[in-house]
Amino acid sequence: MTFSLLHATDFADRLLYKIIPPLKAGMIVLADRYAYTAFSRDTTRGVDRQWVRELYSFAVRPDLALYFRTPIEVSVDRLMARRVKLKFYEAGLDMGWSSNPVESFRLFQGKVLSEYDRIVEEFGLQVIDAAGSITEQQRMVRQLVAPHLATSPVEMSDEQPVA
Amino acid sequence: MSSPLHDSLDGANGGIQSGRYYGRAIPYLPIDGYPGKLIAIEGTDGVGRSTQIELLREWLEVRGYGVIETGWTRSPLMQPTIELAKSSNTLNKLTFVLLYATDFADRLEKEIIPALKAGFVVLSDRYIFTALARAGVRGVDRQWLRSLYGFAIAPHLVFYLKVDVETLIGRVLEARGMDFWESGMDLKHGDDIYDSFRAYQNKLLREYSSMADEFHFRNIDARRSVDTIQMELRRQVAAFLESADEPRPE
Repeated sequence: MTFSLLHATDFADRLLYKIIPPLKAGMIVLADRYAYTAFSRDTTRGVDRQWVRELYSFAVRPDLALYFRTPIEVSVDRLMARRVKLKFYEAGLDMGWSSNPVESFRLFQGKVLSEYDRIVEEFGLQVIDAAGSITEQQRMVRQLVAPHLATSPVEMSDEQPVA
Repeated sequence: MSSPLHDSLDGANGGIQSGRYYGRAIPYLPIDGYPGKLIAIEGTDGVGRSTQIELLREWLEVRGYGVIETGWTRSPLMQPTIELAKSSNTLNKLTFVLLYATDFADRLEKEIIPALKAGFVVLSDRYIFTALARAGVRGVDRQWLRSLYGFAIAPHLVFYLKVDVETLIGRVLEARGMDFWESGMDLKHGDDIYDSFRAYQNKLLREYSSMADEFHFRNIDARRSVDTIQMELRRQVAAFLESADEPRPE
């Protein structure tokens, strides 16, 4: 619970200072992770699914939400290849499912991923196959983003006289 | 507030049996059947809550009850952060609410629930109603607040120490003077701290009153002497604890 609420507090702070002002100014805001991360992570930690959604109901609904989907093995392999040390909470070691960080990561993130699948359905996230190459993924991203930019009101608002 | 929608609402509302969660949130911590009792003492600033709780605690302990106290913003996890945030100007009403909720969640999981499990009487110096009142006055959506605090446990007893603004002003000035937050200066009613205090506390009192029926507040007239108030609290607590003890052989 405290884990979930601390993240929500941090999110609220960023929303009000870093996200809403640029949106009002007509800018594009790129958010690396959003409320959906909290939905999957907190639910995996045992917090009620509906409660987290209601908690974040103050969030702005994104114009476009991309989800980079990858099988758990690909994700583990990538992290191992870079020899990164798995972070305690990222590996879900607080859950006590396994004392082996890699095994715990696999169990925890595996549940996080299946929670994401539910979220993709519920909130209509656009799925990008993250097992593919960076170039392929970037092309896909650009294709998905383009239509939103075409209707952007930024240029029109430039025409308005400066007050 | 008393719309028909309310009854079907998930979250903190009066239709919940005491000793249970109001709504959703912590499925991983089942609390049904815990023997402890949760008693909340509510009331605005300067109303004499801590004095009453101290006396009540002593009296309960003499009678053989295990007692723990818990108080608003007293969690080891959050207290320093809350103090820091209050001293700067970066806090807005949403982050304010969420910091308080985090503090409460920490105390709930680490103090209140374990104590209830072990059969303690938990005396809570303020409870979620303070948060609901403060945030409500600041215009935070009431339905969202109730859903947020759905993870709270409905107390067995809620005492509301009720005063009028005039009495309150006298007491606060006598004791320590008015402070920025207690005067609701963040609401920008004006530069005058006295006027702001009066307007803010008036709104708070109205907000508490609006919750009284819904959450089964037991109103205690807090304009009376410390001893008189204490006698009434003891009488009601004793009656409750005795009736709760009856079905179980000692």
